[in-house]
This record gives sequence, C-alpha cells and structure tokens, in this order.
Amino acid sequence: MSIPRRRIPSLVLAVAGLVAASTAAPAQAPVAKPQRIVSLNLCADELLVHLADRDAIASLTYLARDARGSTVAREAAGIPINHGLAEEIVPLKPDLVIAGVFTTRNTVSLLKKLGVPLLEIGIAHSPEEAAAQIRTVAERIGEPARGERLASDLLADFARLPPVPANRPTAVVVRPNGFTAGGGSMVDAVMTRAGLDNIAGRNPADRMGQLSVEQIVIARPDVLITDAEPGAPPSLAQEVLRHPALAAMPARKISVPGRLWACAGPELAQAAAILAAGAREAKP
Amino acid sequence: MSRFHAPSQRLLIGSLGALVLVLFVASLLIGYAPLDVGGALSDLIHGRDTLGALVLLQLRLPRALLGAAVGFSLGLTGAAMQGLMRNPLADPGIVGVSGAAALGAVLAFYSGLANVFALALPLGGLAGAAIATALLLALARNGTGTSLLILAGVALNSLAGALTALALNLSPSPYATLEIVFWLMGSLADRSLDHVALALPFMALGWVLMLRIGHGLDALTLGEDTAASMGISLKGLRLSATGGAAAAVGASVAVAGAIGFVGLVVPHLLRPLVGHRPGRLLLASGFGGAALTLAADCAVRLAPIRPELKLGVVTALIGAPFFLALLWRLRREAE
Repeated sequence: MSIPRRRIPSLVLAVAGLVAASTAAPAQAPVAKPQRIVSLNLCADELLVHLADRDAIASLTYLARDARGSTVAREAAGIPINHGLAEEIVPLKPDLVIAGVFTTRNTVSLLKKLGVPLLEIGIAHSPEEAAAQIRTVAERIGEPARGERLASDLLADFARLPPVPANRPTAVVVRPNGFTAGGGSMVDAVMTRAGLDNIAGRNPADRMGQLSVEQIVIARPDVLITDAEPGAPPSLAQEVLRHPALAAMPARKISVPGRLWACAGPELAQAAAILAAGAREAKP
Repeated sequence: MSRFHAPSQRLLIGSLGALVLVLFVASLLIGYAPLDVGGALSDLIHGRDTLGALVLLQLRLPRALLGAAVGFSLGLTGAAMQGLMRNPLADPGIVGVSGAAALGAVLAFYSGLANVFALALPLGGLAGAAIATALLLALARNGTGTSLLILAGVALNSLAGALTALALNLSPSPYATLEIVFWLMGSLADRSLDHVALALPFMALGWVLMLRIGHGLDALTLGEDTAASMGISLKGLRLSATGGAAAAVGASVAVAGAIGFVGLVVPHLLRPLVGHRPGRLLLASGFGGAALTLAADCAVRLAPIRPELKLGVVTALIGAPFFLALLWRLRREAE
C-alpha cells in the first residue's frame, strides 16, 4: 500500500494502527517485564497508558499530550516525551520500543541495527483486530491479564450495540481536507456495527480517499459524520468541513472526534455508541 | 503601425466577453458528479430546495464566479503593471506581488484573525500586495530595466515564499505545512459564496482604479516628461495602479492562492490586437485573463488526475515556456 505524502497528517492520528503485530524483535521469550518502555507512536502511547505500570514507561510521543488527538492527554502529562528521533531514544536505554509500521522508519531501522528490542504495530481494521492488537501489546509488556480485560471489555461493548437493522441509513465520513473512510477501514467496520451503511465503502478502490464537497452532496447520505473539532487551529483542511453546502444538506449531522477511532483502544466502543444513537434517529 | 490591422476595440471586447461567457457556462456544467444543470437552474429560480440547486448555487457558481473574477484581476493587473513600468515582463506572479499577497493572507488566516474578523483575509492579502508593489515601484522608477525587475522579483518571491513557509510551520495545525501548495500554486476547489462575497468588492475596487488609468498609460509611452506636459499626474497614475493592483491581486490570492503567469501571457497575446496601446489593453486583458483562468480551471477538473491539479500548475505549464520564449526574444532584440 502506498501512502501519498499528503495523507500523512491524518495518519499522525491514525498511524499507529496495529494489527497483527509483526514482531521484529528476535524471538526471545519475554522473561522479565520490560522496565523502560519507549513509544514512538500515538496509538502505542494510548495502549501503554492503559496497560503498563506508569513506572515502566520511559517515554511517550509528544502527540500523547495534545488533547485534540490523544485520548490519554491527562495521564501523559507527567511522562517524558520524545519526537521520534533516534538521538532522543538511544540514551534512554529502552528495553522495549513500540513503533508503528508506517511511522518514524529511520529511527526504527537505526534501533534495529543497535539491537534494541522492538515491537511494531500495524493498523487494525476491525474491533476484533483491535482486540488482538491489545492482547499482543499486553503480552509483550508482561501484562497479559490487563490486556485480556481491556480486549474483552471492548468486544463486549460492541456486542451490546443494538442489532443492525435490515434497512440501514446511508452515511459518509468527512474529515479535514475532504478525506473519507472507505471500505475495509476501522471506521467502516465501526459504522457497520453501529447500523450505518457507509457510502464510501462501496467504492473498492481506496480505503481513505478524498471526496470533493460536490461528491458528498450528490451522494445524498442520510447521515453526515465529521470530526470537526471546535477548537482546531485554522487551516484550509478544516475549512472544508465548514463549507456552506455541507451545512445546507438535509442529512443528519454527527460529530465524532477523530481520536476516538484512530487507534485500537476502548474508545472505539464510544465512537460506535455515538453513531448508533445517530443511526436510530436518522430515517433511512 | 499594426494599429490599422487591429480589430476595432468594440469587436475585440465583444468577442472576448463572449468567450468568457461560454467558458463560464462550461465551468458550471463541469463537475465531479453528474448534475442536470437545467433542472437545477429551474429549481433554483422557483426556490425549490433540491440537491441540484444546492450544488449549482453553493459549489459550481462560486467556482465559476471566482475563476472569472480572479482571472480578470490577474490579466488586468498584468496589463496595468506592464504599462506603468513600460516592461513586458511585469506580471504580478513574476515580480513577487502575488507571493507577498499570499504571505499577507497566510498571516491573517493561520493566526486565527480571519476567524474572528472575516475581512482580515482579503485585507491581509491586500496589505502584502501593496507593500510589494510599492517596493517594486520605488526600485523601478523611470522605466524599468528588465534585469532589475526580474531580480527584484526573485528577491521578493524568495522572501515571501520563505516567510510563508515559516508562518505555516509555526501554525499549530498539523495540516498547515502541506497547505503551502495551495498558497503557492492556487486552486478554486471547494470555494464557497462566502469567498466570493469576501473578495469581489476588493477586486471590483481594484478594477475601477486600474481601468481609469488607460489614458495616462497611453501618454506614458511617450516618456514621463511628455506625459506630464500633457497634464497627466504621474503620482496619481502610480497611486491608482499600485492601489488597484494591490486590491485586485491581494483579494484574488486571499481566496484562490497565487495563480501564476496569467498576467504575463494574456497581455502579451492581446497586445497586437489593440494596436500596442496600453490603455486599450487593460479591459481586453481583463477579459482574456478571465477566459484563460476559467479554461485552466475546467482543464483541472477534466484531466483524469485526482486529487485535482492545482490551478497554478496548469497556468505555469502554459506560462513558463512562454516566459522563456519572451526572454529569448528580448535578448535577441538587445543584441
């Protein structure tokens, strides 16, 4: 999968997805719990805050402290941060580094050369893959029980969603810059579980394509999902979400902050609940 | 003189106006989703609130209006600056006026000022363009040497580009840095009627200021002293041209980014058709610029490239070779 450069900002949030974690570290059994864990990825930050002892976290990414993108900004406040640079990481003498498969590649390859134990996490595409990723990370940091609890809570939350009606309301996600969530993505999976029919999901070409405002309006979705953040700093990317043509659409509008469903984590169920409530109120 | 072969001004303006009209309608017809434009138009007229009417009014109309108005501004400004500086290379993009306008607009937009006070966006563009134009005129009095003008353009463009990049890097938005492409190359994608309402009054003010100086520019071809002896106030002429260029280019760039080369190519193509009289060239260049910009904006939507090309990519593909050819000829003439 090639990742056009312009997509990278949304990936800053989405990045750490993780799936079947490809374990790059040598297959040594994790005898002792890692005590100086460094995260190079926002999604890994969130998982570490949920799963690891605070003393075992040596450093999180600077993104973890930004409440707009991070779900653990408050918890991350007292933990040292890094910017994904090898020079920051090496002196920490980490006994485990968790990185995303698409981010900080130069640093990761250098750490590999130095033989630093490394766990790379990919992008989860469904709640089940998210649960698997939670378990993988928990296992690797020596907290399997906590991981099991978090993963099974997540799956239980999804199981409690109302049954999906036969006639689902149509919906489309619009993110800054007009990016949407296509078929096969985590967002698509969460929408489907919440009882929505993702229009963009019918286009098999792309998982995160860009839509023009015109295409969004003409598609006539019953539900329009944006992740417009009220306090976001000004950018042309955000302006798309405030286009008068979108405001004038007869669709029901729901706002889901991107941080809720960018990573494999317990917040996925929260996003699904917001969508399910919106789906009930929208007429298909 | 070629004046005798030139078509009458009325015929030329009439045909250019008709061309703009045709391209304006084409711009309304071209879009990303099939739309029954006739039906949408009748819905709009009868006040029916349909999806088609929404697309036509809120998306296609502002795009076509901005294409015409931004193009008119750039073409007219090119002709006015070339007449004033008596140099065929004075284009708002090449000499750095557009770049400075982009810097002004970027500062107003990313600082959040434009969110509090919407007019800050065009005013920021206007301020940037005004400073650059005034600086150029101060550098280039008394008929401008080509090399000095180009070098001033290089300096202004680099400075404005660097400061724009710096401002975007300092912006707290993670998207800002990538948006430099919009400000440097320009685009009309997903603009709204709000943008039209914001920019059009300033552009219109600029047009009026620049269209008024036709007689003065004609007189200026005889030299400053002769023009002054004919009762032309050089100070007034410069002020009108500078103010007009700043208002028109500043507002254009604030809503559509810096679209290059329109102000270079269009006056040059039309100059023989107006008998090489800078005064008559003004209005003709305005319409010519509108036609070129609308055509380029139709081209970016028709080309099978997604996300769509920036408008400035198309105008540069046409304009930059043109610019080189022009330099080549000037060099030969100098020999």
